[in-house]
This record gives sequence, structure tokens and C-alpha cells, in this order.
Amino acid sequence: MSSQQIPPALCDIIADTLEISREEITSDLSAESTETWDSFRHLQLILSIEDEYGVQFDPQRIPELTTVARIEEALQQKGAKLR
Amino acid sequence: MPMLIESERQAIRQKLTTAISQKKTEDVVLLARELVRSGKSSDIQYCASAFSNVAVELAAQNGFKKLKTFVVRSVTVEPILPFLKVEAGLAGYILDFEIGGYGSYMDEMLNPQSELNTSRAELVLVLLDMEEISGRLPVLCADGRGVGVEQEIVESVGRVGQMLRSYRARNAGRLVVQGCVVPHLTSLGPVGEGLLKYGLVNAVKQLNRLLLELCGSISDCVFFDIDEVAARYGRIAWRDQRLFLSSRLPISTAAFGAYAAALVRTICPLFRAPRKVLCTDLDNTLWGGVLGEEGPHGIVTGNAFPGNCYLEYQKYLTGLAARGVLLAIVSKNNHTEVEEAFQLRSADLALELDAFVAKKIGWNEKAEAIKELATELSLGLDSFVFVDDSPVECAAIRRYLPEVAVVELPGDKPWEFVKTLADQWFFDSLAITDDDINRQKEYEAQAQRNALLTNADSKEEFLKSLSIVCTFIDAVDAPLARSVQLLAKTNQFNLTTRRRTSAEVERFAEAPGGQAVAVRVRDRFGDAGVVGLVLAAQEGDRCVIDSLLLSCRVIGRGIETALLACVAERAVRMGLRWLIGEYIESKKNAPCKSFYPEHGFEREPRRSGEDSVIYRLDLRERIPAKPSWLTVEGDITYELAANTTGAL
Repeated sequence: MSSQQIPPALCDIIADTLEISREEITSDLSAESTETWDSFRHLQLILSIEDEYGVQFDPQRIPELTTVARIEEALQQKGAKLR
Repeated sequence: MPMLIESERQAIRQKLTTAISQKKTEDVVLLARELVRSGKSSDIQYCASAFSNVAVELAAQNGFKKLKTFVVRSVTVEPILPFLKVEAGLAGYILDFEIGGYGSYMDEMLNPQSELNTSRAELVLVLLDMEEISGRLPVLCADGRGVGVEQEIVESVGRVGQMLRSYRARNAGRLVVQGCVVPHLTSLGPVGEGLLKYGLVNAVKQLNRLLLELCGSISDCVFFDIDEVAARYGRIAWRDQRLFLSSRLPISTAAFGAYAAALVRTICPLFRAPRKVLCTDLDNTLWGGVLGEEGPHGIVTGNAFPGNCYLEYQKYLTGLAARGVLLAIVSKNNHTEVEEAFQLRSADLALELDAFVAKKIGWNEKAEAIKELATELSLGLDSFVFVDDSPVECAAIRRYLPEVAVVELPGDKPWEFVKTLADQWFFDSLAITDDDINRQKEYEAQAQRNALLTNADSKEEFLKSLSIVCTFIDAVDAPLARSVQLLAKTNQFNLTTRRRTSAEVERFAEAPGGQAVAVRVRDRFGDAGVVGLVLAAQEGDRCVIDSLLLSCRVIGRGIETALLACVAERAVRMGLRWLIGEYIESKKNAPCKSFYPEHGFEREPRRSGEDSVIYRLDLRERIPAKPSWLTVEGDITYELAANTTGAL
């Protein structure tokens, strides 16, 4: 999948938080495959995303949101306007 | 300031990326200041990375201070770190963080081998939650009868005190200790809980008061009143229970910025001296309207709106003056008209013309006026704050005198004057000493001395006529806060510009053969207070002067020589042979460059480096003597016997 499909705002947040380039960001990007995506960055990432889209995730789901695809899915479930 | 729209935001981010890659540090700071206005947490993270990327250049070119910072914590702080880095960056600091473990804060503080105790951190942030500081308090307060509450508070503060003292005994890093936020989720609700003497709300307030006192009793330790910050923000919005309970994050995402700003504002005065002079404009600033056009009865000030806006501003200035900030007028007006206005409208003004130690009223450029003031008051331009409603005047000062802090008042909204000034950090200080409070009188005395000098036949005759008395005291009793303040802010007559902490001053005082002497100076015009300091250590048969400094207000009256004579005298009594001096050149200390050669010292070429010149004096050949016009009081050899191991 190409990075064009990821909403630009989400792309910004992921790139800024994980300090990686936008080109690296695909739906498949995951904590497992990304060195800088540790547990603290994860919390930081989720907080930034909540802030950007004005949503709050259930704390029990937060640890599961470790791929870009899952984050997008969770945002859609919360009715966030991605595009 | 208005929020950024998306296109502006993207444009700033792009410019910032370019500035980072070209290492244009000034642009990075300016653009970061713009970008943080978006309030978006991803932008904050981007700015934090930007500061990290040019950290080396910021330190080398822009005088940013890098601080090795250790965080002792019991809560999650990681998501807040970018906010702290950015706030610090905007204030001229680069925070280099090391974070302790959640459960190990006690061990960090108490164990000599802990990461904290071996980290040589310059700044230590102690961020504990109430659960750790006083976990039993909610239970003890629950029934409202107060059994055991006082005791629990005292014991809790005792435990914190033990941790802080244990750290302080081994390290000189500055300590910032965060208090507790008064809980809002209490069983009785906001009114009932507050009425209950032994309820949780009042118990936590008491806990914070005792923590504040505790911090005051430990050197280089400051209390961070997080509850005051939370209260101003709104305690209900301050904590997000969802994130606290799931991730131990103590603050809601929305409050990160407010928290970081307050914490950095607490840190700044630990490393930076406050500014000393506020120069205010008159027309449409101190009062409404233009004196030259409307006349003394036409200018707006007094109890009725809008005059009361200006009255509030005047009252705020008197508050600053009470704390030792010097007030000056810098105004384009006719001097006689201003005098007349202060006389005729005195009932409508909160301060008299005499409240201003200096007045530059005339038609010269304001930048020139401020430069003259700096010379007259013997202060650096970085001690000045300029307040004016005119964007043109403000821009001119920013351009010609970049060291001066400029506050541009919104001339059309005088009710915002006080807020605009109160939002600024540059008068923040940790301690107010007697010397601060007496400063205004001292500057008035300075003016009288200058008048005398003009009339005297020779410099020496003038100095004699001043009847100067120097009193030497232990720097630890100066009081210590004053000694540290002098070390922190003296620039011109400061041989080595080492910013020693109170712990370090104590170490010089206590070490065998060490010296930590302060000098208090008075003359027929007044008491200048404690104005000079010397720190020295014994190394074999050498007395090595680590720091020697004198406030620029009293340079050139022979007090510097008396200070040197005092150290020499003590070294001789200890049986030491050599007096070793050092000069480290800084941007500002040229006035004392030849101090040691002038006093008969010879250069030690072997030991001198590029930035540092080492001098020595053979005390068997020559002992510096105090100038004849000075009277010396106090036993300069106090406690010498106890302090000496004797020369080898």
C-alpha cells in the first residue's frame, strides 16, 4: 500500500512522534517492525492522535493499536473524519 | 494570539525543516515560537526534535545553556517531555533528560550508587504523586475527625526531607520539588470539603505549605507549586482520570502546555538572574493621553474608568519596586511639564516622581537614553526592561539594543497592561534579599557620590571623603542566598565567572584551609550591603583563588584590593607561601583583566591556557595591603584555627 492512502494529518503525527520519514509510513507499519515505536512513544502517539481527531479511545484498546491499519480502523469506529 | 490556520501551519513547518537543515538557529527559534501556537501535540514534538537537531549550534552560537536533567518520578512523564523541551528551548535552555524508574525514586535519592547520584545532573526534577508523598492521607481524612492527619503530614514531609537532604549531601544539582494537586474528586464536593478543617482539601494544602518550607531549608532547592498552576488552569480539567488510572499519566493532554510552561518558569530563576530595571514610557503608558497636547489636567489617570487601568499599572510598578526592581522613566516629553503633572495630579497617581531612580525625559532617541541609564547605574543592558505602547519605539529598542527586554503594551486596551507585564518571566526570582529591597536607596546614594566626585580635587581625596567601611563576613552567613545571588549575576568584575551553587560555597567554607569570605560595604551615603565575594581552596602551600568578584556598583573604590588583602592575610596566617589567581576571559569581564598583574602577581605561563591565565604571588615577598582610605571591620581571621590543617 502507498502512503497516499494514509490521511496526511495522521501521517504527520506518526512521522513526528516516531521520528521517521513520511515515505516509510504505510498501513502495514507496526510497533513490531519500527524500532522507535516503543511503549512510551506509543502512548505519545495515541495521545497526539486523540488530540488531533478529538476522540478518546478505551484504555483497554490502546495497547492493541500497534499498527497504522488498526489505528485507522479504530478512528473510523469512533466516527473521526479522516479525510 | 490567534490560532494558526492549516495552510500557515504547513508553511511554517516547511520553513522550519529548511532552517534545521541549514542550521539557521535563530530562524529555528523564531519558527518554533510561531508553530507552537497551533497547540497541536505533533507540532510540539516536531519543535522538540528541531531544538534537539540544532542543540550543539544553539549552545555554541546563541548562548543556550545545556542542562543535564534527571527526573525522579513516580508517574508517567514521557509524553510531557517534548513540551518541556520546547518551553525550555524558547527560554534559552536545552534539557538533556535522564528518567528514573517508576518504583525506584526512593532508591535514586538515598542510594549513593544510584543512577541519580552518579549522574552529575545539574538539575533534578522530583515529580511524585500524592500517593507516594502521603498515601494514607485520603483514608485518614475520610471521616473528617482529623485523627492522625497532622502527624501523617509531618511524617510525609519528613520522608521527603530525608530524600532531599540525602541527595544534597552528595550532589550540587539544583532541585525542583513538585507539590501535590489538591484533589477535586472528594466525598463532600467543593464547598463541604473546603469547610472541613481536617478534610482532604485542607490537608493537602497544609502538606504543600510544609513542603514549601522544607524546600526553603535546603540549599538550591525550589518548590514547584503545581497546585497553584492547576488551580489557575482549572483542577477539574487538569487531570484525566482515564489516563491517570490506565497509564499513570498525572495530567490531561490539554494541560501539558500549561504544566510545561510553569515548570520551566520555576527552573529559569535557578540559573538566571532577574532583570533589575524597568523603564516605562509616560504618555499612553503610565497615564492615558499625551501630556504635551492635553496638559496635566487632560491626562487620564485616577479611580474612574479608564483612568483606573493606568492606576492599576502604576500600582503594579510600585509592587515591583517594593521587591527591588528599579523604576526609571524613559519618555519623550518636557521635563518641567512632567514635574508639573506629577505635582498637580498626585491624588490620581499611585506613585510619585521620586519613586523613579532615574528619569530620561527629553527628545533624544530612547535607545540612547537607556544606554546612558546603563552607564549611570553601572548595570548591563541585559538588566533592563523597556515598556512602551508605541510599536515604533519598541521596534527601535529591539533593533538597536537587543539585550534589552521589550514589553509592547496594547495601547488601545489599557486594562491588559498589567496582564501583559505579569505574563513576563524576567523579574522572577527565588529569593528576595535585603540587598534587593535596599537597592533603590543605594542607587540614590550613588547619585550623591557622583556629585561629590565632580567636586573633589583628586580621586583619592574623593575616596577618603566617602569614609568607606568594609566588613568581612563568612560567605555562608552573608546570607548564603546573597552569596549565591552574587555568584550568579556578577559579570563585569568577576575574575572567573564560575556560577557556584550554595552547596559549593558551603564546601569552600568547610574544607580545611578553604575560604569563603563575603564583604559588606557602607559609606557616609549609605549601606551597599553585601557586594563582594571570594572563594579559595588550599592546595599544599598554595592558596588557590577559585572565584573573586565584586558588584559593579562599587568597583574602583579599592574594595577589590581589600578583598584580595583579606584572602592573602588569611593565607599567610595559615602559613601558605603562594597566592594563586586565575583570570578566565568572558564577554563582559574585561574591567578586571589586569587585576592580578596590578597587584604584583606574575603570570604562570606553564599553567595558563587559551581562555584561562594563571597568576601567582609569592607571599614571602609581598602581601597585598588594603588601601589607606578604607576602614576594615570584622575579624578576617574568624574561625581560622578550626579551619586550618597548616601548610605542608
